Amino acid sequence: MRFLSRKRLYGLLTVLALAAGLTLAATVVPALHVSRPPSAADPGAYEQVSADGGLGAGIARLQAHLRAQPRDSAGWSTLGLAYVEQARLTADPSYYPKAEAALGRALTARPSDNDAAHAGLAALAAARHDFSTALTQADQALAINPYGQNALAVRIDALVELGRYPEATAAAKHADAVAPGTPIFTRLAYVNELSGHVGEARRILRLAAASATDPGDQAYVHDQLGELAWNSGDLGTAAREFGLALRYDPGYLPAVDGRARVRAARGDVAGSIADHRKVVAALPLPQYLTGFGELLDATGHADEARQQYAVVGAWAALAKASGVATDLETALFDADHGDHARALAAARAEWARRHSVHVADALGWALHVNGRDAEALAYARQANATGYRNATFRYHLGMIEKALGKRADARRDLAGALALNPRFSPLYAPRARAALASLGGRS
Amino acid sequence: MSRLALARTRAALLALGVAFVGGGLFSLAPGPATASSHREAPLISGQPQYDNTDVYAFVSPDRPDTTTLIANWVPFEDPSGGPNFYKFATDAHYDLNVDSDGNGAPDYTFRWTFTDRYRSGNTFLYNTGPVKSLTDQNLNFLQTYDLTVFKQVEGKVVSQQRLATDVPVAPSNVGKASMPDYASLRQQALHPLTGGSGGWGNGGQVFAGQADDPFFLDLRVFDLLYGGNLSEVGNDTLRGYNVNSVALQVPTRMLVASKSQPTIGVWSDTERRSAGGWYTQVSRLGMPLVNEVVIPVKDKDRFNASVPWNDAQFGPYVTDPELPKVIQKVYKIQAPKAPRKDLVQVFLTGVPGLNQPPNVRPAEMLRLNTSIPPAKNPNRLGVLAGDKAGFPNGRRLGDDVVDASLQVVEGKLLGAKTDLGDGVDTNDRAFGTSFPYLALPNSGSAVKTASVTGSSADGLGGVSGSSRTTPLNAGTVADTEPTHHSPVVPIAAIGAGAVLLGGSGAIWWMRRRPSRSL
Repeated sequence: MRFLSRKRLYGLLTVLALAAGLTLAATVVPALHVSRPPSAADPGAYEQVSADGGLGAGIARLQAHLRAQPRDSAGWSTLGLAYVEQARLTADPSYYPKAEAALGRALTARPSDNDAAHAGLAALAAARHDFSTALTQADQALAINPYGQNALAVRIDALVELGRYPEATAAAKHADAVAPGTPIFTRLAYVNELSGHVGEARRILRLAAASATDPGDQAYVHDQLGELAWNSGDLGTAAREFGLALRYDPGYLPAVDGRARVRAARGDVAGSIADHRKVVAALPLPQYLTGFGELLDATGHADEARQQYAVVGAWAALAKASGVATDLETALFDADHGDHARALAAARAEWARRHSVHVADALGWALHVNGRDAEALAYARQANATGYRNATFRYHLGMIEKALGKRADARRDLAGALALNPRFSPLYAPRARAALASLGGRS
Repeated sequence: MSRLALARTRAALLALGVAFVGGGLFSLAPGPATASSHREAPLISGQPQYDNTDVYAFVSPDRPDTTTLIANWVPFEDPSGGPNFYKFATDAHYDLNVDSDGNGAPDYTFRWTFTDRYRSGNTFLYNTGPVKSLTDQNLNFLQTYDLTVFKQVEGKVVSQQRLATDVPVAPSNVGKASMPDYASLRQQALHPLTGGSGGWGNGGQVFAGQADDPFFLDLRVFDLLYGGNLSEVGNDTLRGYNVNSVALQVPTRMLVASKSQPTIGVWSDTERRSAGGWYTQVSRLGMPLVNEVVIPVKDKDRFNASVPWNDAQFGPYVTDPELPKVIQKVYKIQAPKAPRKDLVQVFLTGVPGLNQPPNVRPAEMLRLNTSIPPAKNPNRLGVLAGDKAGFPNGRRLGDDVVDASLQVVEGKLLGAKTDLGDGVDTNDRAFGTSFPYLALPNSGSAVKTASVTGSSADGLGGVSGSSRTTPLNAGTVADTEPTHHSPVVPIAAIGAGAVLLGGSGAIWWMRRRPSRSL
């Protein structure tokens, strides 16, 4: 089941609202709003997908099987992974506690030498953004089976998210040597992108595209190629790659989100809004809601934007209740659209756990919106220090420098952000341009 | 990866209701990210085209001066609900290895490498109209391959020779409308070897393409290991599914060390190109069921990455196997005493006087004594039934390796009376009488009679109508005598290091009255 039916979505969003402890009136209205089907001119393939088939039905069958064969450790591990996946596909984090229980049963059924269960626990921990545990579990799995591709892959993820980039690169190269394949190629590409080796990242993703036969893998890989192009402002390539991703999997929503950004960048606001609606209708996740909200903000629909933002808080509350660490999402969202003090507290809490470039950027920006630019600068610089070419990171750095009166630095970095991708955000690219102009610079 | 290890994975995946479509298998991921900062790349990926499933080696029945080697990849190719086409990977080496002198290292490696060809340039179309020949413009997508043999000494390549170049692969049988005469396409895909009239080219031929999966078994057997209460067996789980095969027929004298040393060792492997550009072995297969009956779960990936030369590391799993202990615990069938020299012979060295080379280095491979002529009337149980031209002396397409392996593990070669089996004695489709002997692939137009999604592979639900409904029917064709069966006892969960576990569906154990001889 790749997408929620509308009916199911209403239910989910109601749950979100209740879990958030908000009044029904305050949240169900925007929830219903975002779930409105797209215009008749653009029905969207996902509307046709039944909520009864696919992964959901498979989980039910696996559950039935395990009722009959409760000692099937591998079956429990598979069920655990399936729950993790279901949480991703439905944006419903309440599957995580179920995944935890299933993987616990897997370990009970086979307490030792059970690398599959440890790899599953590693994937679950990563999905909950507990990357220290993910690393520990992956290492446990690899101690039993050094060739396990799942554990090798999650180990790379954990090191990346912990900000341990040299180790992550080494882990990715090791995994490529012992268990090459799509899961490893995509991660190796990402560590290359994070260290600024965009050409190598592109080469590896193209290699993955030439190698993968699974339509889901193809969609993922082409979507990533689209993001690489987007991040360097190459709208034509981005559009083509997002389109290819959707050709392999017409309902692959990250690519719909990518297409939405490209459409907005090309001035097709109506087309972009239609795409954004599709995405948030099925996946009301913070980055999609925020991205949509910012487009609405930038195009003069502030009221509608607020409705999208309202759902973010509901998601965070439900996610937290299911054991997902949401501090990074909270920090990013609140710094721009919510409570500044809460943004800073969340960013500091996340920084205490891990030092990735994404957390450094969020902490720097949270300090900035709280007027603490002198402290912010070091973090913003750290976010830009690995070579990762992220226009938003660079924009944040430039704005902090501007606030500190470092006019030359600010000009350089604001221009740098716009040079990476002149339309990196419908809301912030114009602000970057205006700030640069006010400093006497040109993009 | 071997057949059943894969089967386990696939059964679990099938249980998730994921279709095997378009050459893809399944991916749990990629899912959308839960946070913009946390990229969720694919975790479980569909990569069946690198998975070895089975290897066969036998003296060609119609040309006894030649030996036929067959290896299969890409299990569970579903012809229905398509059009579905299944490719060989283009970033892999598909290898068949032959050890002529028993030293554990290959003397010859036959390597297939594949290239994608599109006639119209549209990479999403398989065919644009009825396909009547391999050169038909309507066949938009076609693969071709090169075959090269590498002569090696002590593991080092000393020479190489191209045996076939740009040969078309027999395509996936997408259906009658697209391929009205598939048999003629198969015929066109047979190709003579180059390499000189005195060498490989002297009657040698090669084939690569889709075929009916020749392996037959009932996967549901595995459920018993968890205490399942199966009352049906004998349903060929793989009925209706295809594989991608490579087949090679070469003059036997080219393969053997000498007239007095006619036994060869055979195994296949897959090497996959990494992002770094080198090739890594990701799959290995020689004897059937080794990954299930011998290698513990935790070491399966290690085994797939290993080479026969280093198989001493797995020796203890052979000499003191877990499986018979489990069977003893649950079924009260006495496990033969360790160390199991009989299993060492079957799995590692060959059996003296049958297929053991002199000075053999113990290593897992299919060992074939090429001096034993083909049987006129092959017995599915091979050597166990006195037919020395069959398994474990090599492996023919029709050999019932599930039953034979189970009986060997239970000590049949030590004189134990055992009649274990899975109730599936033959493949559902007849094999050919000439190269490449494989049955034609199931057509996309045909409706499978035993659907995996029903119950067979996942063991989760009802049983399809075609299954034989007694657990005790292995070889009952001529068995009119009312047999008395000991009860089928569920096998409890197997501890760490045991085999045959994981996933669902498993070897169906049954015990018939020991008086029945085979």
